[in-house]
Amino acid sequence: MMEHTMKAFDADLQDLSRMIAEMGGLAERLIGDAVDALSRHDSELAQSVIVLDGKIDSLQREVEEKAILTIARRQPMAVDLRDVVGALRVSNDLERIGDLAKNIAKRVIVLDAELPLQKVMRGVEHMTELVLTQIKDVLDSFARRDVGKALAVWRGDEEVDAVNNSLFRELLTYMMEDPRNISVCIHLLFCAKNIERMGDHATNIAESIYYMVEGRTLPDERPKGDTTASTNVPYVS
Amino acid sequence: MSSMANIGTAVPPPHPMPVGRSGDAVGTLAEKVSVRNLSFFYGDNKALKSVSVALYDRKVTAFIGPSGCGKSTLLRILNRIYDLYPNQRAEGEVLLDGKNILANGQDLNLLRARIGMVFQKPTPFPMSIYENIAFGVRLYERPARAELDARVETALRRAAIWDEVKDKLHANGLSLSGGQQQRLCIARTVAVKPEVILLDEPCSALDPISTAKIEELIDELKDDYTIAIVTHNMQQAARVSDYTAFMYLGELVEFDTTSKMFTTPADRRTQDYITGRFG
Repeated sequence: MMEHTMKAFDADLQDLSRMIAEMGGLAERLIGDAVDALSRHDSELAQSVIVLDGKIDSLQREVEEKAILTIARRQPMAVDLRDVVGALRVSNDLERIGDLAKNIAKRVIVLDAELPLQKVMRGVEHMTELVLTQIKDVLDSFARRDVGKALAVWRGDEEVDAVNNSLFRELLTYMMEDPRNISVCIHLLFCAKNIERMGDHATNIAESIYYMVEGRTLPDERPKGDTTASTNVPYVS
Repeated sequence: MSSMANIGTAVPPPHPMPVGRSGDAVGTLAEKVSVRNLSFFYGDNKALKSVSVALYDRKVTAFIGPSGCGKSTLLRILNRIYDLYPNQRAEGEVLLDGKNILANGQDLNLLRARIGMVFQKPTPFPMSIYENIAFGVRLYERPARAELDARVETALRRAAIWDEVKDKLHANGLSLSGGQQQRLCIARTVAVKPEVILLDEPCSALDPISTAKIEELIDELKDDYTIAIVTHNMQQAARVSDYTAFMYLGELVEFDTTSKMFTTPADRRTQDYITGRFG
């Protein structure tokens, strides 16, 4: 795109994009580390995730300040205005993703025993891979303002939901089999839910990118596959 | 003319800046003024190239574009001010309520009473504040003294300057500040009860507070008048107008609701201009 007559305006917008990219990189790392800590039961790694989340939070505040200052000083219009609004929205989603990773890390520290459920863990890891790919793709499409790729992320969230659904059922079954599993299973349930939510934030970001580029919001309902809200496994004695 | 019953009763909002708003979609409202295939020549120089645009009834339409794009020229055609100068001519049609004002036999005095104009630099007459208003009224009518007094007060109230000048109506108009002078000129325009008001960069010589007062005034006046404003200040266009026309090199590039023009313009050139990327 053509440069602004006033170069400092371009610099402001580039700063915002750079900060978002930095937040995105941190978020990816946080997710990977949090789930690694969970599967290896590494409390130290979990602790570092909690510390690193503070960095995302402070970047988010920086993005917010920079965006507000840019609106006040430059009065951005049209594509520039959408860029600034988009940066605000995306930074909120990334900050939430960081919080969700931190929440997994906190649970790792609470669960002080080895996890007996390796099969469930493989499901969690698989879901994490899917979500990390979604987040990586959506950050790429943000950097390149690539609507096609953003739309692919937006539509691709169903697979994550499907894995989450089967994990949910599996964990319910383990809990019914042996009440001693309940504590661990509940924590894993929340971890899975957190990861699924990260995927939702990735689709939010995809929606923001669509708005930034096209100037309108996505028209139809996103395909959704989360059925855990209506899942019930009856207790049979 | 619609009701003047609310004159002087409007309470200014807590914040002096009127908020931007969105207009109805283009083409769905009654056209007060319809410009059709209008071209304009300064001698051999073609300044407007077959421009077609509408001023919707009791809406504010802003004309934006870089210097020399033809926006002031277009405004000068709407009340045929250009007729005062030799070697300038217009082709095409400008319909006011469906009647072509460019046609031969158009009474120019009457036209300029129906379509008033305010210029970039405040141009009060070198006479008293009272006479600045009364002078124009007397050109068209012969009101009794008491009625004339009322007309002057009404116009000054309408232009949101009454409270500042009511105790010195016989002071010279030129003794006022720039912002007050401009509001006096708007009062003078309003006093002859026009239907359309043309504003050619009305705030470019004013400080921010005076500018906010004029913008607030525009917001009030559009209840009764159809308004066209030429401005270099894009934020001003975004703030005060319902519709925006972007002109470039004598052509109308894009015309749409202000909300659309400033968030998602369709034409690349509009986008580059309003985001400050032009040239």
